[in-house]
Amino acid sequence: MILTDTSPLMNFPCQEVERHNKPEVELKTSPELLLNPVLICRNEAEKCLIETSINSLRISLKVKQADELENILTKKFLRFLSMRAEAFQVLRRKPVQGYDISFLITNYHCEEMQKQKLIDFIVQFMEARFLFTITYLTA
Amino acid sequence: MAAIAVHRFAQSITCHAWSPDHSMVAFCPNSNEVHIYRLLQDKWEKVHVLQKHDQIVSGIDWSARSNRIVTASHDRNSYVWNFEGTEWVPTLVILRLNRAALCVQWSPKENKFAVGSGAKTVCICYYEQENNWWISKLIRKRHDSSVTGVAWHPNNILLATTSTDGKCRVFSTFIKGVDTKDSRTGSSSDSKFGEQIVQLDLSFSWAFGVKWSPSGNTLAYVGHNSMIYFVDDVGPSPLAQSVAFQDLPLCDVLFVSERMVIGVGYDCSPMVFAADERGIWSFIRFLGERKIASSGSTYGSQDLYMGLLRPHPTTPFELEPKHKELIQLGIWICQQFHKSLILMKDDFSVRMVVESSFILYQFSEAFVKLYGQSKHVVSNDAVEPSRSRGGIHENCISCIVPLRQPGISTVPRFSTSGLDGKVVIWDLENQADLSVYL
Repeated sequence: MILTDTSPLMNFPCQEVERHNKPEVELKTSPELLLNPVLICRNEAEKCLIETSINSLRISLKVKQADELENILTKKFLRFLSMRAEAFQVLRRKPVQGYDISFLITNYHCEEMQKQKLIDFIVQFMEARFLFTITYLTA
Repeated sequence: MAAIAVHRFAQSITCHAWSPDHSMVAFCPNSNEVHIYRLLQDKWEKVHVLQKHDQIVSGIDWSARSNRIVTASHDRNSYVWNFEGTEWVPTLVILRLNRAALCVQWSPKENKFAVGSGAKTVCICYYEQENNWWISKLIRKRHDSSVTGVAWHPNNILLATTSTDGKCRVFSTFIKGVDTKDSRTGSSSDSKFGEQIVQLDLSFSWAFGVKWSPSGNTLAYVGHNSMIYFVDDVGPSPLAQSVAFQDLPLCDVLFVSERMVIGVGYDCSPMVFAADERGIWSFIRFLGERKIASSGSTYGSQDLYMGLLRPHPTTPFELEPKHKELIQLGIWICQQFHKSLILMKDDFSVRMVVESSFILYQFSEAFVKLYGQSKHVVSNDAVEPSRSRGGIHENCISCIVPLRQPGISTVPRFSTSGLDGKVVIWDLENQADLSVYL
């Protein structure tokens, strides 16, 4: 629900650089174009940061890593995904500092795809990740 | 049904405008071009393509009397297009901007137009006969951020602007030689060009979509915090009303009459606001059919639950070749699992492999769904009815344009366009509950 509420993005050209159009959430040059970030924490190890600006939205996840093995698995899995970030379009190549994986949604993604499906994708991604952990723990 | 015509022209439309007789529509298909379509025997036909800009076109306005089109683009330029013979001939406007132009509107007398820009300025442009040139005069140092909307008062002098600094301002745009003294009805004070009449600081967030009512007595604009603001008696002591609603914020508004406003935005359905006899504004309803959308949170948990309950697959999955990448991913993960679990009991590791590939399958499904829909936006097979908004537009509505009939101040007909590439014409004539406000 928070994702839906933070998703209104528009095409907004850069105010600082001539003829540029960059995600404001990455540049952070004009403070008035950013909204307050939302941080959802279950505990220190599992958290989600949603940063919003006028034309872009950044979601960063930190997933639970109970032990060494999970740590390695998560790392490998997310590294594999990050290396193919181009194919996933909304995935950021490098996660934000302190997080395991980051998505960057810009107004261009909202123009090309239906917003609801974009959100479903991220939710399903999180669920897949969650299931991943669950099955591992219950097996 | 309030929508009388729907046509999908492009993948995505940033803005559109109608010709004076409403037979042609000009729109920007989210690119550097402007396409003009004409309705010929119930079929839309592309008649002109205006190519001059080199970045996305952010604003189009088609003047009703002089049949001129003005376009504004992110490439910092603006063109005025005149129809000569069979072609649209562009004239460059010297905007003197160093940032993108964001919005444009002709003044009611069509001798001036205003361009809002990312350079935190507003340009008022007028025609200079001797140079055959559109000249711009800038209103500087008034806005603290990009100007997102401009609107002309019916008296051709006052201009309202909204900005991403959250403020709405009203300026005087009196230009010597273009405007005559007697046209300044209502304002007795000698207001010079660029003088700020009033600054409204109602919104805590970005402000968009400012409009005047047909008489010019009321001003409406929206904030990104899901609020709409109505301001009466614009002047030294304005009266303001704020209306909050629970849906996603609006992008643009339109006065249908003195007492009714249509707002469009991220919720994909136009919203109707109206004032009662005492002049108190409130939200009436959505236009177009709209099912009650279930909230995202319930969907999420349900789907997860369903996923857990599904029987575990025991046979290898049959995936299409285009999922090759994902199969590779699956195999790779399985290998990783196998490596790390090689020391454990055998059946356990086998189960892990099956489980993980199942999860990956689910994941790939989600991915393919997303990927597939970006290619074929028209197909709605994957849209589950419970979650679709049920409106005519499938994405954010970014633009609302009145279809004015000459001599009538109310506009029961208007059109909307959005990021889903559709242009929808709406008619409020036979809406019984809304006719009292017309």
